[in-house]
This record gives sequence, structure tokens and C-alpha cells, in this order.
Amino acid sequence: MSAIMSFFGFGQGAEIDIVLDGTETRKMAEIKSEDGKKERHLLYYDGETVSGKVNVTLKKPGSRLEHQGIKIEFIGQIELYYDRGNHHEFTSLVKELARPGELTNHVSYPFEFLNVEKPFESYTGSNVRLRYFLRVTIVRRLSDIVREVDLVVHTLSSYPEMNNSIKMEVGIEECLHIEFEYNKSKYHLKDVIVGKIYFLLVRIKIKHMEIAIIRRETTGSGPNMYTENETIAKYEIMDGAPVRGESIPIRVFLAGYDLTPTMRDINKKFSVRYFLNLVLMDEEDRRYFKQQEITLWRKGEKTTRKGIQQQQQQQQQNLTTRFGNISIGDRNSSNGGNDGRSSGEDGEKEDGREKQVNPMTREDEESGSEEGGGFGPKGVPAGE
Amino acid sequence: MIFNWSKYSFKPMTPQLSPVDEQDKLLDEALSLVKSQAFQMKRQLDKGRLMDGLKHASTMLGELRTSLLSPKSYYELYMAITDELRHLELYLLDEFQKGRKVADLYELVQYAGNIVPRLYLLITVGLVYIKTNMSQKRDLLRDLVEMCRGVQHPLRGLFLRNYLLQCTRDVLPDIPDTPDHPDGTVRDSIDFVLMNFAEMNKLWVRMQHQGHSRDRERREREREELRILVGTNLVRLSQLECVNLEKYRKPVLPGILEQVVSCRDAIAQEYLMECIIQTRQDMAVEDVVSLQVSLVNLALKCYAEKVEYVDKVLHSTLSIFERLNFQRVEYNSAVSRELTKLMKIPIDSYNDLLTVLQLENYATLLGHFDYRGRKTLAAYLVANALENETLVTTHDQVDAVLTMISPLIEDQKDQPSEEEDPEDFAEEQSLLGRFIHHLHSEDADQQYQILNIARKHFGGGGSRRLKYTLAPIVFQAYQLAFKYKSLKDEDELWEKKCEKIFHFVRQTIMALVKADLAELPLRLFLQGALAAGQIGFENHETVAYDFMSEAFSLYEDEISDSRAQLAAITLVTGAFEATSCFSEENHEPLRTQCALAASKLLKKPDQCRGVAACAHLFWSGKSLATKGEEMRDGKRVLECLKKGGRIASQCMDPSVQVQLFVELLNHYIYFYEKGNDQVTVGMLNQLIARIREQLPNLEAGDETEQINKHFSNTLDHLRSRMEYPEADEEGISYEGLVL
Repeated sequence: MSAIMSFFGFGQGAEIDIVLDGTETRKMAEIKSEDGKKERHLLYYDGETVSGKVNVTLKKPGSRLEHQGIKIEFIGQIELYYDRGNHHEFTSLVKELARPGELTNHVSYPFEFLNVEKPFESYTGSNVRLRYFLRVTIVRRLSDIVREVDLVVHTLSSYPEMNNSIKMEVGIEECLHIEFEYNKSKYHLKDVIVGKIYFLLVRIKIKHMEIAIIRRETTGSGPNMYTENETIAKYEIMDGAPVRGESIPIRVFLAGYDLTPTMRDINKKFSVRYFLNLVLMDEEDRRYFKQQEITLWRKGEKTTRKGIQQQQQQQQQNLTTRFGNISIGDRNSSNGGNDGRSSGEDGEKEDGREKQVNPMTREDEESGSEEGGGFGPKGVPAGE
Repeated sequence: MIFNWSKYSFKPMTPQLSPVDEQDKLLDEALSLVKSQAFQMKRQLDKGRLMDGLKHASTMLGELRTSLLSPKSYYELYMAITDELRHLELYLLDEFQKGRKVADLYELVQYAGNIVPRLYLLITVGLVYIKTNMSQKRDLLRDLVEMCRGVQHPLRGLFLRNYLLQCTRDVLPDIPDTPDHPDGTVRDSIDFVLMNFAEMNKLWVRMQHQGHSRDRERREREREELRILVGTNLVRLSQLECVNLEKYRKPVLPGILEQVVSCRDAIAQEYLMECIIQTRQDMAVEDVVSLQVSLVNLALKCYAEKVEYVDKVLHSTLSIFERLNFQRVEYNSAVSRELTKLMKIPIDSYNDLLTVLQLENYATLLGHFDYRGRKTLAAYLVANALENETLVTTHDQVDAVLTMISPLIEDQKDQPSEEEDPEDFAEEQSLLGRFIHHLHSEDADQQYQILNIARKHFGGGGSRRLKYTLAPIVFQAYQLAFKYKSLKDEDELWEKKCEKIFHFVRQTIMALVKADLAELPLRLFLQGALAAGQIGFENHETVAYDFMSEAFSLYEDEISDSRAQLAAITLVTGAFEATSCFSEENHEPLRTQCALAASKLLKKPDQCRGVAACAHLFWSGKSLATKGEEMRDGKRVLECLKKGGRIASQCMDPSVQVQLFVELLNHYIYFYEKGNDQVTVGMLNQLIARIREQLPNLEAGDETEQINKHFSNTLDHLRSRMEYPEADEEGISYEGLVL
């Protein structure tokens, strides 16, 4: 309405501009918008103060602009796409910038949300979005003048206290027995998955083997629960048919993929979990696979000067060691500390002396749930 | 810049080979794609757009994922692509040297979704890292060789690892082993190459077991084409200067051999053995030989039943000698010691001379030793056969064995002129004599051939050896004749064959005679006469007579020593006494001859004893005339004994005389007890009285004591016969005997 009015030159109009403090030094982070476009916004962490200035520029300086008050809100909300009407705000803070009155000139209001709690990570998924934004409203009788600015929030975790490897023997009876091992069960987003597959029994003609990273987004609850699986990455780790006794190294760098921390039951609205899917394909295009959940977390980046130096040094020295020592050949060479031998979804069942082989799933598949999309890592920011 | 790898694609890779014309087409297509991608890659690199360059490189490398090409075509494709990769490598090297490091390039290339292109890029980048920053060499090498495990497809894996090996050619650490050297040491290189080798070998062997069995020939051909890829690893090892013999023995060789053994694949084993040998040409001969020792041990431990593996090693040793123009292995030289070790292993482990015979190269290699070396080994072989009671059962084998051990059998051209220790010589020849009894077939005809061939070999041994070797042959021949007798119902030619054997024997014995031997051939003739008589084939009497008369001639012409003469005549008499095959016509002259010869002996005591021995001829001698019964000519017996008594009386030495009388007394008693009625108690009394009379006159001494003892024993015998006359079933009475 106001747009139309201003278009026809009626009444006074105003531009609102929100300028956050420290834009030159603050990092930007990328996030997808609802329609899939990538946007870059300023990045905040939990407990950081959000402050800045709101500049109101009048279109016709000198003319009056009446208003019922000017406020700024800091909002964190969850939007479920199938329930557009309802946005669930888990955070909503308001600051009044001006009491009802008139504006005749450009004006600038400083604002500050001190040590704001930002409990969740910004997220844009298939069915749900979690976003933070600042909203400035010039309240008017007919139509408010509103300006929103999105922020991105990253949640940081500290190094997990327990981080067992995932080790399990799986297979299809009398057909394929393998033992796989991932060095951890919890990975940070720039981490490297190091592991190996040991072939105990091979009676099928394997064509290749891959590891897929699958994101499972669950929204809603009860009858309204939606689950969406998305293959984030597909990574071939073996070409050709191994024989019994072979062990195949796994090394997957996570930094290159679009990943978020694992989110469990965010505000009772949604969860985002990640799985490693080990898939073997035989010559008749049957797939054998086993999924294991891994927990992803975001590591706080060291920003002190000393920290940066250390990091650089580390990179120089540990070009390979940082990938973890792949020692192959002896399947019993444990990486230490994995006596638990368990974790993952199914855990390992040991029944007396007889070791039960955890079943893999076999699919006769020609349809190929490999949705045709590109599976290389997408959008790795490199260099720039 | 956005990092955008080629899509991780799953286009169907049908593992079917296309027909030949299809191959060309497929290859052409692939090559043209490579060409265009390479062009793009270079263009992007020229513009400094590394990421785009890498993307094209990756697409180009994607062509190596194909399953449609034959090894030959795949090789061409590989060559074209790796050629283009050189540009990438040079570009990166250049950039790195300019200081423009892309620190996470090693990580970045690992985002490639498909493993084959990923690993080629990783190797390329890894190499650049190694070349520009040596300190990571050890870790990088280890990482690369490990990561390549991801490619398990034989053909693709072989080429990938070949690329790894080619790339790292000039950067393998080659400094002596010191703990924790940051740049790595030769030990790291060895580990690296050995692991790469092990994996390549497994892949190569695995090719054999894939696909239809009807394609086996094609597969084997293809494997032959690819074997060089595997062998290159060994070449690389041999090029490391720090791999000295010690390093080669351990860990290099065991590492290689472990693969050779565990792969259980004939093609691989053969080829790898060849490689092992050929890559060590620069070593000292003894070292090469000592490696062969390890190889033989290995072959024996793992493939005891596969003689050809051991033979292969021997063959390769020979080729090395040939290549080095190495003719003679001097006794007690380092090479000789090693080679001796090598040669002893097969016999020690098989414990079967015949198996060693199957090693075609064994004898040839043996021929490279000098005289002493050959002889020592020959004796070793023979001793083993004796110890293990190995029988050599065909004439071909006999021929081969005897050729092999000829340094024992015949004088050698390179034999030193000085005489060897006679005791050693006797010992070694006795060994040979025993060995002849091991040349033995159960089949009589075969055995005949064996003896013939053996005779031929041993016949050249010269007089020093013949006495050890021909006698066993003669005895073997007699045994064979008996064997034919036992086969007379099955073999109608047995008599002819026996006759042939005796001809063979006669010639053999005559060879001994020609070698100026007398006593031995005499004995052999007598044995032959006995054998002929016992076997009784047609014509046996003629043969026996001939053998007896030959024995006599030898006695007359060749034996001059009186003691030997007595021994000979005693033997002749004894042998003749045991025959029963002669007709009176032949028996008479022979026995007369015996008696005559005995009485013509030079010394009186000898005459006496000879004559007494002849007495038995007339008692228990048998002929056709007596129908095989003893002739029991008591009168002639007594004549002989009396003659003996007369001769004894003529002896001047009193103690010899008494001794002869005691002996005669025993003869008398013998015949008395046998029932010769010409011998009387009175004669016994007379003889006893005479001995009693003379005995006290003898000078005391050992000799006298002996005679006394003999006499008193004789009397004891008579006393017991008198006390228990009932014990005598013949009813012989000693009534009237005066003791």
C-alpha cells in the first residue's frame, strides 16, 4: 500500500536501513534461502550481542512522517513449509526505538540486544527452516514500514568427551561378510572420516563400493511426521572386486560438503541427523548397504593469532597424519580405545561364542534411488 | 572459485570385451576425448585456473574407468593420459617452486567422487609435494601406496600402481637405514615397493580367476602382456643402491618370496623367479648362488612335489654362470661352498637320488665344479642313496646316475696327477661297490640291462677301481641267473638268458684278470661254477667246467705266493666238493688235478693240508655218476690221509709237525665218525700216541699252548663219545681207543 502511495507520490515514505556493528570484521556465512538460492549473512554465535544502528531515510526530507512508534525485534523462528501460517518463534526480543510521534528528518537509532541467547543453528532444509532475523517496524495507521535483516547463527560445540570408533561386522549370510570401521562416531564439520573395510567373505562379484552421506530431516510429530532423506555426498571408495582378506581404506573429507551439525528435536519441531551409508554394488546391480548414524558437530574456530599460527604449522606438518594413520592389513590392529566396539544404530550383538553377523540390506535395484543429481561435493569454497 | 568436480557417474561398465574392430573404435573415442580434455586442462592451467584445470584432468582420467578395453588398448590409453598428466605435474611443480603453494591441494583432489581419477590425481599431487618438500616423503609414500588399495579391479589397479611406481621412481629414499630419519631411508623404499609389488602381484594373479574358463588361454596371454608391470617393482628394488646383499636377503627377498609362495599361481611363480634372478646381475657370483640357495629352499619347502621349481632355480644358476662366462668352480672357493650348499639341498630334502635325477639341470650344474668338488658331491649323492636304500630301477636311470657320479667311476681329464690317499680311495670305492647293489630292478630283463650299462660305466675305471666295482656286478649277475631259474615256468628263454649272463660274467671276470688281478677272479670263477651247477640250465656243465678250469689256470699261472696258493687250492677244493653237476668225464680230471696241485705245493705243511683237504673230495664229492650222492671212496680218502701223514713226518719243525698231526687226527676222526671203514681205531691210537710222544718235547710258548689245547679238545671230544656211545646213532664204536 505504502509502495503504491509512494509510487503515486502520496504521502511520506521512508527507507529503513539496519547497519550492524562490526560488519568489517564479522564473518559472513552462507545459507540457502527457501527457494534454494545461496545467501550470505553476518554470522553470530550464541550469547553474542547484536547491536547496530537503524537508519531511517525519509523520501521527502522536510515532510512529516507520522508514526505510532518504531521498534526493532530480534526473532528466532522455525518455519514448517507445510504449515505456512504458523511460525514458531522460540526467541523474540523487542526494543523500542521511538515513541509514537513524527519524523521530519533522517534519523538514526542505535540499538543493542545484549548477550542474546541463540540456542539453535540456522538451517534451511527440505521441509523446515530455522532462521534468525532483525525486524524494524515503523508502525503506522494504514501500513507499517518494515525492514528485515537475516542473520546466520552457528552453534559451536566443544570436543566430545566420548568418541568411540564405529566398528561392526555385517553381512549377508554365506554371501558377504565385511567388517567396517570408522575411526569416530562424532565428526566435526571439517573433519575427515578415516576407516577401513575388511572383507571376511566374498561370494558375490562386487563391482564397486561407495560411502554416501545421508541427511535425514524429520519434521512434525505423530501422524504429521515427515521424513526426508537426502544424499549429500557419494564417494566411491573401491573399484573392482576384492577377495577375502583385502582391506580397503576409507578417507572422506567432510569440509567439502554442505553439512550442518546434527540437530536433535529442535524445539520439538524437527531433527536433522546424518548417516554414513556403506553401499556395495554387485555386477548384477544389486546393492548391499548398511547405514550408521554419525553425529556432526561444529567446532569453534581458533581465532587468536597464536591459534592461526598453530593451525598453519599443523597443516604443514601433518599433511597426511591429519588424515589419520591408515594402517591396513591387520584387521585386528585396533586404533585403541574401541574396546566398546559398539555404537551406531544397531550396536553389535555378540551371542556367546557365535558372532552374529549384523544383516546388511540387499536391494535388487534397477530404479536406482540414486537421484540423478551431481554427487560431487558441492560448492566448496576454495581460495577466495 | 567454486570447486566443481565431474559428476560421480555410474554409467554401466559392462565387463565384456568387445570384438577387435570394436576395440579400435572404443580406443579412438577414448583417445579423442582425452585429447580434448587435455587441451582444455592445459588452457585452464595457462590461465592460472588450477581448479578448472583439475576438473578437466579428472574428466580425462575418468576414461581410465572403462571396462571395455583389452589390456593392450587400455595400455595405450593409459600412456596417452599419463603423458598429459605430466603437464599438470610440471605446472604444479612450477607453481610450488614459485612459492605459490596450494596447501590443501592434497586434500582437495580427494574430493573427486570416482576413485580411479582421484587416485591418479592424488599420486600426481603427492609427487609434487614430495619433490618440493622432502620432509613429508616418508608419510606420503606410505599414504599413496595404501590408498591405492581402493582399486581392486586387476587391470585398473595394475596400471594405477604402475603409475605410482613410475612417478616415485626418482624420489625413493636411498640412504642407509638409520632410525627415524625424517626423509625416510632405504627401508621405507623397500617397504613401499614391496607393498606395491605384493598388491600388484595379487591383482595380476587374480586376473587368472576372473571370467569364463573358456577364455583361459586369452587370459593367460593377457597376463603375459602385463607381467612386466609386476616385474618393474623388482627392477626398482634392484636399482636402489642401498639394497646390498644383506638387505636383499632380509627383508627384500623374503618379502618377494612370500608373495611368490602365497599367490599359488604357476605363471606368476615362474616369472617372478626369473625376475628375482635377473635383477641381481651385479652381485658377486657367490652371492647370486647363495640367493639361489634360498630359492631352492623355498621351492622345496613350499612345493616339495614340484620338482620343476627347483630345476628352474638350477637352470637360472646355470644361465648366470653362462652369462658371466663362469666355467670352473674351484674347490673350497666361496662360490664352491655356496654352490655345494645349493646342490646338497635337493638330495638332503628329497632323500631320493631318483628325484634329484629328475632335475634336468642338476648334472650340468654339477659339471661346473672342479674335480674335487664333483667327486665330493658324487660321493655325497651315493652315500645318501645307500642311507635311504634308494633303488635305481631302470637302465636309463642307471645310465644317468652313473654319468652323474662319473668322477668316482672313471679317471677325469682334470684330475690332478698326484695319488690320493689310498684309504680315502678305498673307502670311496667301497661306497660305490655297495651302491651297485642298489642298481636293482625287480624285472629280470631290466636288471640284465642295468648290469650291462653298469658294466660299461665301471669297465672304464682302471685296475685301481675295478676290484671294487666289478665283483658286485658279478654277484648281481649270479643273483639274476638264480632269478631266471625261479622264473623258468614263465620265461621259456630262461636258459638262453642264463647262458648269456654267464658269458657276461666271464667277460667281466676276464676284465679283472686283465687288470692283473688273480685271487679275486679266481674266487668269482669258483662262485660262478657253483652257481651254474645249482641253476642247472642247459649247458651248465660246460660253463661250470670252463669256470673251474679258468680258476685252475689262474691258480697255476698267476698265484705264486705259497700262502695264497694254499688258500686258493683250499677254495678250489671246497668249491669243487660242493658241486654235483659234473659227469665222471669232467669230474675225474678235476679232482685229480686238485689232488695233484695240492701235493705239488711248495711247502710241506701246505702239501699236507692240501692233501688232507682233497681227502674230502673223495668222500663227499658228488658227480652225475654218483647221481648226486656222495661218492664215499674210503680207500682214496685213506690214501690221501696217509699221504698227509707221510708229508707231515717230513716236516723239520717239530711244532709244525705236531700241529699237522693234530689236524690230521681230526680228519681221521671225522671220517671215522662218517663211517669210513678204512679208518680204524688202531690208526687213531697210533696217531694219538705219536702226538703224545712229541708234545712234551716242544718248547713252551703260545704256539705250543695252542697245539696242546687243540689236541686236548680233540681228546675231550673222543672221551665224550666213548662215555655216551648211545648218543651215536650211526653205531660207531670207539672200542679199543686208548686215551
